[in-house]
Amino acid sequence: MESLESLYSYAWLIPLLPLIGAAIVGVGLISYSDATSKLRTPSSVFIVSLLGMAMMMSFGIFWSQWNGHEPYSFMFEWASAGSFKLQMGYTIDHLAALMLVIVTTVAFLVMVYTDGYMAHDPGYVRFYAYLSLFSFSMLGLVLSPNLLQVYVFWELVGMCSYLLIGFWYNRKPAADACQKAFVTNRVGDFGLLLGMLGIFWATGSFDFDIMGERLTHMVEIGSLPGAIAALFAILVFMGPMAKSAQFPLHVWLPDAMEGPTPISALIHAATMVAAGVFLIGRMYPVFEEIPVAMTTIAYVGAFTAMMGATIAMTQNDIKKGLAYSTMSQLGYMVMAMGVGAYSAGLFHLMTHAYFKAMLFLGSGSVIHGMEGVVGHNPTYAQDMRLMGGLRKYMPFTAITFLIGTLAISGIPPFAGFWSKDEILGSTFQVSPLLWAIGWVTAGITAFYMFRMYFSTFEGEFRGTNDDIKESLRIEQLQRMGASLGPGAMSTHEMPQATADDDHHDDDHHHASEPHESPITMTLPLVALAVPSMLIGLVGTPFGNYFEAFISPPGEVVTVAELAKEVDLHEFYVMAGSSVAISVVGITLAVLMYVTKTIDAGAIAAKIKPLYNFSLNKWYVDDIYEVVFVQGSRKIAKVALTMDIKLVDGLVNLTGFVTLITGEGLKYLETGRAQFYALIVFGAVLGLVLLSGLT
Amino acid sequence: MDFATFPWLTTIILLPILAALLVPFIPDEDGKTVRWYALIVGLIDFALIVTAFVTVYDPASSGMQLVESYSWVPALDLKWSVGVDGLSMPLVLLTGFITTLAVLASWPVTLKPKLFYFLLLSMYGAQVAVFAVQDMLLFFLVWELELIPVYLLLSIWGGKRRLYAATKFILYTAGGSLFILVAALAMAFYGDTVTFDMQALMAKEFPVRLQLWLYTAFLVAYAVKLPIFPLHTWLPDAHGEATAPVHMLLAGILLKMGGYALIRMNVEMLPDAHAIVAPGLIIFGVINIIYAALTSFAQRNLKRKIAYSSISHMGFVIIGIASFTNLGMSGAVLQMVSHGLIGASLFFLVGATYDRTHTLILSEMGGVGTNMPKIFSMFTACSMASLALPGMSGFVAELMVFVGFANSDAYSFNFKLTMILLMAVGVILTPIYLLSMLREIFFGPENKELTEHQVLIDAEPREVFIIACLLIPIIGFGLYPKLITQVYDAKTIQISERLRTEMFAIASHEPPLPIGTIPTTKAPSIGQ
Repeated sequence: MESLESLYSYAWLIPLLPLIGAAIVGVGLISYSDATSKLRTPSSVFIVSLLGMAMMMSFGIFWSQWNGHEPYSFMFEWASAGSFKLQMGYTIDHLAALMLVIVTTVAFLVMVYTDGYMAHDPGYVRFYAYLSLFSFSMLGLVLSPNLLQVYVFWELVGMCSYLLIGFWYNRKPAADACQKAFVTNRVGDFGLLLGMLGIFWATGSFDFDIMGERLTHMVEIGSLPGAIAALFAILVFMGPMAKSAQFPLHVWLPDAMEGPTPISALIHAATMVAAGVFLIGRMYPVFEEIPVAMTTIAYVGAFTAMMGATIAMTQNDIKKGLAYSTMSQLGYMVMAMGVGAYSAGLFHLMTHAYFKAMLFLGSGSVIHGMEGVVGHNPTYAQDMRLMGGLRKYMPFTAITFLIGTLAISGIPPFAGFWSKDEILGSTFQVSPLLWAIGWVTAGITAFYMFRMYFSTFEGEFRGTNDDIKESLRIEQLQRMGASLGPGAMSTHEMPQATADDDHHDDDHHHASEPHESPITMTLPLVALAVPSMLIGLVGTPFGNYFEAFISPPGEVVTVAELAKEVDLHEFYVMAGSSVAISVVGITLAVLMYVTKTIDAGAIAAKIKPLYNFSLNKWYVDDIYEVVFVQGSRKIAKVALTMDIKLVDGLVNLTGFVTLITGEGLKYLETGRAQFYALIVFGAVLGLVLLSGLT
Repeated sequence: MDFATFPWLTTIILLPILAALLVPFIPDEDGKTVRWYALIVGLIDFALIVTAFVTVYDPASSGMQLVESYSWVPALDLKWSVGVDGLSMPLVLLTGFITTLAVLASWPVTLKPKLFYFLLLSMYGAQVAVFAVQDMLLFFLVWELELIPVYLLLSIWGGKRRLYAATKFILYTAGGSLFILVAALAMAFYGDTVTFDMQALMAKEFPVRLQLWLYTAFLVAYAVKLPIFPLHTWLPDAHGEATAPVHMLLAGILLKMGGYALIRMNVEMLPDAHAIVAPGLIIFGVINIIYAALTSFAQRNLKRKIAYSSISHMGFVIIGIASFTNLGMSGAVLQMVSHGLIGASLFFLVGATYDRTHTLILSEMGGVGTNMPKIFSMFTACSMASLALPGMSGFVAELMVFVGFANSDAYSFNFKLTMILLMAVGVILTPIYLLSMLREIFFGPENKELTEHQVLIDAEPREVFIIACLLIPIIGFGLYPKLITQVYDAKTIQISERLRTEMFAIASHEPPLPIGTIPTTKAPSIGQ
């Protein structure tokens, strides 16, 4: 026990270890950049082993929490002014322990994978430094004891995401995407900040439980109107809305796929984007008592789930498809939190973290293999129309991807089935409408995931087909032209813009067949396949160990109690219906992409407007482009013109300047202005003396 | 040496000025000796400031410390009287720190180096003097004195339109400072005793109407300096033309004089007027934040862009001062220190970038990150600091102002809600203009046009060192704000407590404050 106690008092090391790694390597990169960049293996081994240590500590803490150790927290006074104090520290409870394990395991595996994926990248060491910095921020976030500290780390993970999306900074799309991600997240943080300030103003605390307790009390006794409390809660929810890519702040996530694939797996699938759900979990004491907020959360989640799934159906870029799938699954989690299925939402967070990380790493492996054939050009390497038949060349990737596909489609006994089923079951009890949305979404999910699997791994390999390549190139040019508006780019710049993307090592590709990835990449895939298959078993209705461990703040339940509550008949109906719709989705995918009994192209042509609506992401990006991006530019321009023409002019005109502008400025501009300074000073001094004597 | 009685402040002020007078006698042709001389003087002076701070200064006391007072012109009652309290000390430290770094930043100056360092060193003393003098008349004189070196530094070493910028600078600031003189005289001669001593003036009771007049006069002068909309237009011109070291001083120290004097005179000496004008200040603060952020976004000239961003950040200082809370006041002082560091670092980096690209127009840059990765990463770090990333000082300062103002009981719920909502819009706008700037300078494919004509070498160790020096306190204060807040806490608490008693007194017998403030009820009192 003695050692366990010291494990708790040293738990601050868990986030700090990766920070130390990042700091040492980062300082090395700034001070001795060439030397440090060459120390590839030492740097990565150093950083990975620090994270490994953090992972071991997390396991220890998780084990002790699982065995019923009391929650632990440590606080210190961070800032103060008079009697006013702000505290920081760390807290370890069941939820924090669970998140620690999820984050450290996924981060560890992603870091191992990175060694293979980034092996030829000149920014290899820098990438590890960023990854380590992100791990620090994310681990700090999950250990935060209060909303203020969550906000601090919330922004830090956002910054890491910015740095990593823009990792290949010489690519224009990456440059745009990282800025979009940061700014969209800032819009969410704007709400979070306001809500936080509002709740603090009302309750005088940033502590989750105290905020909830006092706010509820104040609404009950009527000293705070319920509408104001709901406003604060919804403002706080804007934070998770941006971070977890919920409509209408979801636009950054698909673009974020411009970053290297390991971070798409770690940040934009498994951990950071799930932080929104985590925060809803932490804020549960506040949200729970405000029905309006809960309903808003549930509907936003359901809408996002549906929207993401419908867009994912038509995407051709494998990473974009997965990104919309992530958005959709996050919508599931948010919906679960909104209907009060606290444990189910977090359960899905966990299972999703593992299988989605695996799917992304799998897509990275595919891209890595494709790059051997088509070169380092994301337009070709990531497009599923050029893939096909990869199972023959990349067996490990194919099998693990299939496992992930089955898990996300909700086929028992894979992990996703249990968590998704629990969400749908709980939702049905609250709102059949939301359940119906979730249910249909489950079917679409199965469809698009199997579409993805079949077009990538089954059939014939199309990577050497130059016709498809040519049509993709034209399509890309059109897209660039469209996004910049007509006439924004003259034609002679276009070939250059595409040439830039594949400028590095164009020479040694053009193998005719893709190859399986190195062991550092396949090993993490295999390792992640295990939880993707089995982790769901901790949360079956027959023995829901997960819910007994992660229950809403203030509630304690045991496995036996939970098992007693379960109505097996209802479970079979719910599970049966959700498996049924998944099977329908899979069957459709088989008919369209394997046997080709149904012609997907013909259907798309028949419902052209709907198809385009989905392909163009519901036109949300285009609307934002016109309304917000161009709108804000226009306002800014007006402000600047006004400043230069109007304000400056008016102020120059008023007051004493009027007296001298005419002659004075002309005189001064001739270069004898120094004298004027002396004249002013002298005059002033004289005035002092004069007035002093009178 | 007896630490307690040593004339610290006089030495600190006079040492660089006297050293500056010796510059003409240094045998030096190309400026390589004189820059070492200036750097050593700067370091010694900074060491003196730190020694005084460590050995004599007591952060727990809210009173004047290290006080020295000598009669200078008895006929005028003009005294050489200096001292520091919690309000001055952090700014004096900042001055020593930034000015010394500015000397290091001027290493490449080759045009008239002797004159340049002469002016820089005299600035050093004059700047410290502004924060340290305790006599109104003296304050006015050093306030003016510090303008002349800036004027010359702008007009000789500046960019193409340097004369216009320098003239505009001197007209605005000297014009503004006439108001200080008038108000100071009025205050000195009011009542039974004639005195220019700040402590004595603080004790004088002025009628509210007179206070309002005096307040307005001071406000005009300090609004030019800080700056506050609409008196800010000299700043983009001056900043747009200044060289990097002058820039560091302008943004790092000169703007803070406005904030410092606003607290020292308007708040401390004229509390009743402050209670009346404060809501107006909040509104102007919000305008500063949003308006300057927008203009910065539209601005295509890099230096001017950062100049507007300075104006935007100063909005938080104004709001903190007008918040009537301990936290807000503390945040205002922290924001001054923090922006001093961040502004100086950004302007230094802008200068370093300009040295390589030889253009300030954003559309002519692009893709230089490939050639200058170190400058890129330092620029990113400092921009992050500027957009108030947690873990850096700017975040703590803005958070303190936000929380302080949100919890202020001096304003009605609706007023606070509207103002905080607008302030928070700034939180969205700041990353837009800063990240667009980074994107336009560094991101994108390698810039063939620039690399053909310019040598885009990466940062040299001297430049990395300067930025490291600035980033260490930025991150240090961000991680543990008490490092800096405890230096001045006692004083800011005393100021805001005094202000609150005055305000409640005025609220009980005066008509309601301009913008529906109900100062008596505790926090949740909506719908009343």
